[in-house]
Amino acid sequence: MPGPAHRLTTRMITIDRLNKIKGKARILYDVSFAARPGRVTGFLGPNGAGKTSTLRILLGLDRPQSGTALIDGQPYQSLRRPLATVGALLDGSGAHRARTARAHLRWVAASNGLPDSRADEVLEIVGLTGDAKKRAGRYSLGMSRRLGLATALLGDPRVLVLDEPVNGLDPAGIRWMREFLRKSAAEGRTVLLSSHLMGELAEIADDVVVIDKGRVLVQGELAEVTGDHRTLEDAFFALTATETGGSW
Amino acid sequence: MTQVRAEIRKLLGLPTAWAGLILGTLLSPIIVAINAPAVRRMIADGALLGDVADLGLQNLGIGLIGPIILGVVVVSSEYTSTGDDAPRARQLTATLTAMPHRMRLLAAKTAALVTVVFVQATIAAAATLGLTHALLGDLVPAWHPGRIAAAVLYWVLLALFSYSITLIARNGIVPLTLQIINSTVVSVSYLLTKLTDLANYLPDIVGPQMFLSGSQLEVHIHPVVAGLTMSAWVAALLAIGAYLFQRRDA
Repeated sequence: MPGPAHRLTTRMITIDRLNKIKGKARILYDVSFAARPGRVTGFLGPNGAGKTSTLRILLGLDRPQSGTALIDGQPYQSLRRPLATVGALLDGSGAHRARTARAHLRWVAASNGLPDSRADEVLEIVGLTGDAKKRAGRYSLGMSRRLGLATALLGDPRVLVLDEPVNGLDPAGIRWMREFLRKSAAEGRTVLLSSHLMGELAEIADDVVVIDKGRVLVQGELAEVTGDHRTLEDAFFALTATETGGSW
Repeated sequence: MTQVRAEIRKLLGLPTAWAGLILGTLLSPIIVAINAPAVRRMIADGALLGDVADLGLQNLGIGLIGPIILGVVVVSSEYTSTGDDAPRARQLTATLTAMPHRMRLLAAKTAALVTVVFVQATIAAAATLGLTHALLGDLVPAWHPGRIAAAVLYWVLLALFSYSITLIARNGIVPLTLQIINSTVVSVSYLLTKLTDLANYLPDIVGPQMFLSGSQLEVHIHPVVAGLTMSAWVAALLAIGAYLFQRRDA
């Protein structure tokens, strides 16, 4: 039923007190934050801080010991046609190396009742049309990222969840990704991306969530989080009290 | 249905799956053709070991490499690393983000495998038995339709057996190697039957008794009991595989 409450939760990502233990290691401690529609939310932290673990829980790939991660107020696993709601980009392209990019996109599309033609459309969006018949195993790192993004875009999703999206991209690719994500947010989509690159994130994010050693240290609008510090990077090091050149 | 179609498409998009399809479908008829002259002589000399009624059906055994490969790759392809630059990245991520409900996904995968192997087994059985009949003619008695159906069912069950152990192992190399060694080089299960009669109920010993007279074995098991035992093995392993798949982090 459309109403104010409905609008409030639509496209919203809500992470609430996630705790995760892997083996004997505690990975997440009461991680909570939200990502809102029409904004780019940057999930910032050093490698191993718990960014990927949080995103994997959000996408139903891993299970937390406690806490919830919801999209539109629902857990990912209960989404009927998830690709139309959420586009996800994780490590690698997700394509079996023996498959061509087009064949990969076609089976993913078919699993959500999308037509074959959609595969060619997303290949064009990410600029891989000329390499559509190449096997995924022969793709460069940058091309794999683009193929992963193409997969995420198949269902024209209202929410984008991207783990280190600029990793492996060349400068032109980084610029393209930045513009693409800004445009997506301007269209009203919810964009949540993780990064360990603070300079990069400061360029693109409206809101920032800072995580370190499995705990969210601060969250808010970019300007708030940066505060009196000169840059987001300075703010981060002040928050974590990590010395430059230390464990980073 | 959408997910089953997607899973069939996904399976048939793998070169390894085609190796399984081609090997499984063609090996048995080829063996029949190669052996025919020798078999004809052996029947004439009365030197044939085993039951004449098993001929043809017995030759279907070599083709079982097909369902074994298919059962393994339908799962192992999900767990293979997608590239050197992201060693932990696997197709399973794409699969689960597209089809996040794990039990529904597993049902679709199982249905896809059963469909593909059923078609393959039917074609392989028709080709093998048809060729046996064409080459040996009246030397071989006609096969009971129930035995042919049981042979096809065995192919499907063996594919599901490979599938479940791969689901448990999350890796194709171990299940594939073990099964190929056990079915070609040295049958550990067969050696075990020399130690204990219970070994006759191991899947690869009991399964063929669904459709072969099992005349080389000391313990004879009724085809229906054999079918039920084989199904029980598969059901149990599938249940364990499904339970783990549901619980584990992807």
